Amino acid sequence: MATETETTQTQAERDQSDDSGPFQRWVSGSISEPGRAYRPMFWLVTVFFLVTTLFPFYWLFMVALTPEGQLQNVVFTPNGFNPGVFIEIFQILPFHRYMFNSFVIATVTTAFVLVVASLAGYVFGRLRFPGKNPLMLLVLLVSFFPPAAFFIPLNDLFNTNFDILEPVLSNGSLYNTPYALVIPMSALFMPLAIFILTTFYSQIPDGLEDAARVEGTTRLGALFRVIIPLSAPGVATAGVLTFIGVYNEFFFSFLMTDGQPQNWAPVLQGILGFQGQYQTLYNAMAAASIVAVLPMAILVVVAQEKIVSGLTAGGLKE
Amino acid sequence: MARVTLDGVTKRYEDVTAVDDMNLDIGDGEFVTFVGPSGCGKSTTMETIAGLTIPTEGEIYIGDREVTKLPPKDRGIAMVFQNIALFPHMDVYDNISFGLRIRNYEKSEIDRRVEEAAEIVQLGGMMDRMPEEMSGGQRQRVAIARALVREPDVFLMDEPLANLDAKLRVHMRTELQRLHRRLDTTIIYVTHDQAEAMTMSDRIAVINAGKLQQIAPPLTCYNEPANQFVAGFIGSPSMNFVEAEVAGGRLEAENFHVEFDPSTTDGIAPGDRVVLGVRPEDIYLERTAEGIEYATELINARTDVLEPMGNEVFVYLVTGNDTETSMDVAAGEASDDQLLMNVDPDTQIEAEEDVSVILDRSRIHLFDAETGDALRHGLIDVASAESGTPERGVGDSD
Repeated sequence: MATETETTQTQAERDQSDDSGPFQRWVSGSISEPGRAYRPMFWLVTVFFLVTTLFPFYWLFMVALTPEGQLQNVVFTPNGFNPGVFIEIFQILPFHRYMFNSFVIATVTTAFVLVVASLAGYVFGRLRFPGKNPLMLLVLLVSFFPPAAFFIPLNDLFNTNFDILEPVLSNGSLYNTPYALVIPMSALFMPLAIFILTTFYSQIPDGLEDAARVEGTTRLGALFRVIIPLSAPGVATAGVLTFIGVYNEFFFSFLMTDGQPQNWAPVLQGILGFQGQYQTLYNAMAAASIVAVLPMAILVVVAQEKIVSGLTAGGLKE
Repeated sequence: MARVTLDGVTKRYEDVTAVDDMNLDIGDGEFVTFVGPSGCGKSTTMETIAGLTIPTEGEIYIGDREVTKLPPKDRGIAMVFQNIALFPHMDVYDNISFGLRIRNYEKSEIDRRVEEAAEIVQLGGMMDRMPEEMSGGQRQRVAIARALVREPDVFLMDEPLANLDAKLRVHMRTELQRLHRRLDTTIIYVTHDQAEAMTMSDRIAVINAGKLQQIAPPLTCYNEPANQFVAGFIGSPSMNFVEAEVAGGRLEAENFHVEFDPSTTDGIAPGDRVVLGVRPEDIYLERTAEGIEYATELINARTDVLEPMGNEVFVYLVTGNDTETSMDVAAGEASDDQLLMNVDPDTQIEAEEDVSVILDRSRIHLFDAETGDALRHGLIDVASAESGTPERGVGDSD
């Protein structure tokens, strides 16, 4: 930061030969040539964001590499070198099972959200019926509540045994099943997905849907064969946001299972699993965090183009 | 191929009636055009036939089947849309074969039909292009091919040429006529362009404000319009209308009169208000009026603006003493002292010139001033008609 200010000042000094102070000269130079002020500000802000977002990861990596019990004086370098921790985390706990659980839960939730939100988005985006706007507001209202508000009644519900569920679930209750996570998280992420898809589907010209229907599809067929393919950036955005949201979710993930991998505990429980009653394996927790983040990072990099065009554009030309 | 019958079809929205008691009987293999101004309900009528809109009342039959509530896919129709509506994410082959693939036709059959349709509309070798890589005319041909491969009973075309440039429009117009001759399928065509309607159709259905005004062959609509709206809508430039009062032996307009015996026509009595309609090409300068058998008396007028079109010249005439150009002419409104005349390009005529014109009485139409209904076509009194040209009254149309 300091170096950048200095360079601009020296430039200003070179340009200015009158005897006003250096700051005054810098200001007047910036006014006559705004790029001189914008360039250092751009770098300042960029470096700030890069440091605040990436440095924690760097530090996480250093903590992971530091052997257990030597976690003093870790600032820029690890205190020792133990890359084996990235193997150990799968040996101490079945961390892969936790990841698998999270993947299944996130995938099922995303698929369910996309199917239901597509139908809802079609209705809200393309049909006219009385009470549409109030109904849309009602749906969005769900996303205004803090998830904690739903937790106690849902937890109570999921711990209740229903005879009717006996054939599907061992004891008739949803606790310790993936459904205990899929159901509330679908509800939480549904409004956002509906909102995104409504916007996208409403922009597909009526003529295309009419053409598909005249050619021989039903309304539903037109949705899946024409409207959804043309709204791919929107569907990708809604899907990725839901997937990442569910994968990273803390509250329900922490409380809707007992934390055992065979009971569909998600990756969060896997990371916390390295925190025992008598001992906390910080290096393993750090390594597990990094491993858990990688799939999301890859997903975002792969889907980023679609997400960006989905979040910004949304305009489709015929 | 099939007949299409509309029986009392009405479509009401919350505040407007888009289609009002539409009764149509379109024959097998016929080319019928719905024509009317924007928002007159012609597209809505077509949508009810397509099944994209369900009528509030009335029934629709295609062939012998009642299809009023059937979804579009079960009606045996194909449609070409105003905005072309090709699927942007599919190439030409996929667009054309879309309907066949939905219906699970065999691959060989799909290929055969796509090839045949592409040949008809001359799209060979473009099968793997995307719509965005094509010109407007090519896209339109793909849209027509998409309709062709389905081998539908009825073709619906909703202003298919509206988005094309003028030259291409005329070209596609002749191609569509050729297509109709070759396929011999029932075609229903919607347009607001009366020239398209006149040139292509077997019959024209003129629609205004949701109501069917007249359905007849193009020349019948032109020569014997059923009412003042049809008379004004068909023909370009539009027919002149002048209000007149029926008096004994003549029609009194504000600035001139026309000999007419009211007793020869039912429903007209002295004292009635009527609207006299005459097309620009049926007004003649006195000096070129030789050979007009049933001419009116001379009408004094002053030329206002001349519009030379190359093959003809439109002359705006102001009748009567008030030669000041009134502002409502500029706004395109019909005015009682305005007449539009059509003369040969080599006629010696200038702006601001006093001239005498005559009207061809055999080509004058009379409309009821209140209802606009046609009362009479041609003002040749039975008594004064010396020979030949028979009276053309309303209802005599073939």
